[in-house]
Amino acid sequence: MKELKVQYEKVLSDYLLNQNESNLYIGQNLVRELMRSNVSPEDLVSIHKQSLENIVPNLPESVLNSFDFLIEVMVHFGLKLKEHQSLILKQEEIRIEIEFAAKILNLLLETKIPKPIGLDIGMVSVPVRKMNGDYVHFMHDDGNYLSVAVTDVVGKGVPAALCMSMVKYGLDTLEYANNNPSYVLEVLNRIIEKSVDDSMFVSMFYGRYDLANDIFTYGSAGHEPALYFNSKEQTYTDLDSKGLLLGVLPEIKYSQKDIQLSENDFIIMFTDGVTEFRNYIEKFDSRTYIKELAKSLKHFSAQEMCDKIFENLNKLNNFQLEDDFTIVILKKY
Amino acid sequence: MCNHPTVKIVTELDIVAARQLTRDMAKEIGFGVVDQARIATATSELAKNIYLYATTGEIIVQKIEKDGQKGIAITAIDNGPGIENPHKILEEGYTKSSAQVAGIKGVKRLMDSIQINSVLGKGTVIRAEKWLK
Amino acid sequence: MNVNVQFREEENRIYGIIEGELDTFTAPILREELDALSIKENMNVELDLSRVTYMDSTGLGVFVAFYKKVLKENAKLKLVRLSSRLARLFDITGLSELMDIETDKKVEPANECI
Repeated sequence: MKELKVQYEKVLSDYLLNQNESNLYIGQNLVRELMRSNVSPEDLVSIHKQSLENIVPNLPESVLNSFDFLIEVMVHFGLKLKEHQSLILKQEEIRIEIEFAAKILNLLLETKIPKPIGLDIGMVSVPVRKMNGDYVHFMHDDGNYLSVAVTDVVGKGVPAALCMSMVKYGLDTLEYANNNPSYVLEVLNRIIEKSVDDSMFVSMFYGRYDLANDIFTYGSAGHEPALYFNSKEQTYTDLDSKGLLLGVLPEIKYSQKDIQLSENDFIIMFTDGVTEFRNYIEKFDSRTYIKELAKSLKHFSAQEMCDKIFENLNKLNNFQLEDDFTIVILKKY
Repeated sequence: MCNHPTVKIVTELDIVAARQLTRDMAKEIGFGVVDQARIATATSELAKNIYLYATTGEIIVQKIEKDGQKGIAITAIDNGPGIENPHKILEEGYTKSSAQVAGIKGVKRLMDSIQINSVLGKGTVIRAEKWLK
Repeated sequence: MNVNVQFREEENRIYGIIEGELDTFTAPILREELDALSIKENMNVELDLSRVTYMDSTGLGVFVAFYKKVLKENAKLKLVRLSSRLARLFDITGLSELMDIETDKKVEPANECI
């Protein structure tokens, strides 16, 4: 430290004689040495004060006092700076973890849309942040059944993502597309209830389409009712099947219902990101709006319908959707 | 303990009195200007925590000696709510922060050693030492 | 975006009025406040939601967790004065079958009958 004091005094003295760039440069290079010796900001101010006293005789009392004041302030400043730096480091660590988790999750939950004969399927699922809290799972084995699960996990971030992967695992294990909705929901409910935090749960709309007979069997666990459009009558029916959210209580039974589809009928399933409009007045009925909108688009393909509905609602929300937006359309042709 | 200079912390002005006490003591012991500033700041952080989070408390200053080395010890005692997991705060990378924790971490950086004893609902005793080099 | 809750504790009852928005950011605040309550056996807890201007599913999560806590302590929970929008949310999720939900009842401490 003594060595550095001497060096500092010399450099300062040179600068006071000659205020040129070179002396400033040398002074800054000294910082590397100082850092290596763990010199703190307040030490530096003290060194400066002592050097100055040696170089410039008869410094006014006020100048010397001002340095004492600066030392005091520096001690506290140094503490606050360290705090700030460690906070920033923490933030960066968290950001990296989340990005990594998001990447993995997105890979894990990639959904391929099946193309069975007689049924046109479209889907749009847009997350509001890095990780999508919604998940759509299709299953179409070679047989005559196609199943679809539209899921919404409550909660955000890594815990919600982990919960979602549990849902996927559960669905994958229930291999066969011809499992009926009551059974699927019962099993999933048990899995989720056992493994997650008390405030975490999942809403799910599960449907099984019988391709041979065009019967759609569905069940819901606390999810927004789906919509069924009857092309002949040009009317909608809410596909409502009351059931408790998954993961709240252990032994819950779920009911299921059937509906028959004819040519050009379609079914719309969605998550609440589609119907929840935060800034709208209570009187605005989003479900009615969507019904009208879908009706006006019914001549388009299922995928085009999904895309256009998303575009429309996105614009309506000023491109600032509040929640993950997921819509799935099954159209019989 | 009662023989050592003590400052009761009740009002914000008492924080200033505590700072003055430790600074004067540090000067007597022979600490340099910068260390005096550090010691006074450490006292300030401890006293501030008492003032903000506990109903009453005091700062006790002692001259200490060990193996021929001279030093100063500042002890902060309060009847406040206590601190949960005090030893965890002292570990590097402790993430849960609050102004109270930040204050204690600051003391750890300014002094040579720090010890915390706390009972939830009863109070806290923090002792920090600094040695003349 | 804020949430505020005030509690009034009496003998065997706790009345709470929740005000503001319940979303991802404010829900944890409400959760902390509810977690801090000490629930005793056979206690009646009533939460007035008339001043909740917005609630999404994260807010629901807080109530579900609190409901489970109350259940565990053998106490009773009731949510009152829900707007039709909020009531619908509890209805779709099946929570209205599970929990005691009411729309439009004033929370009055002097009211002895339930």
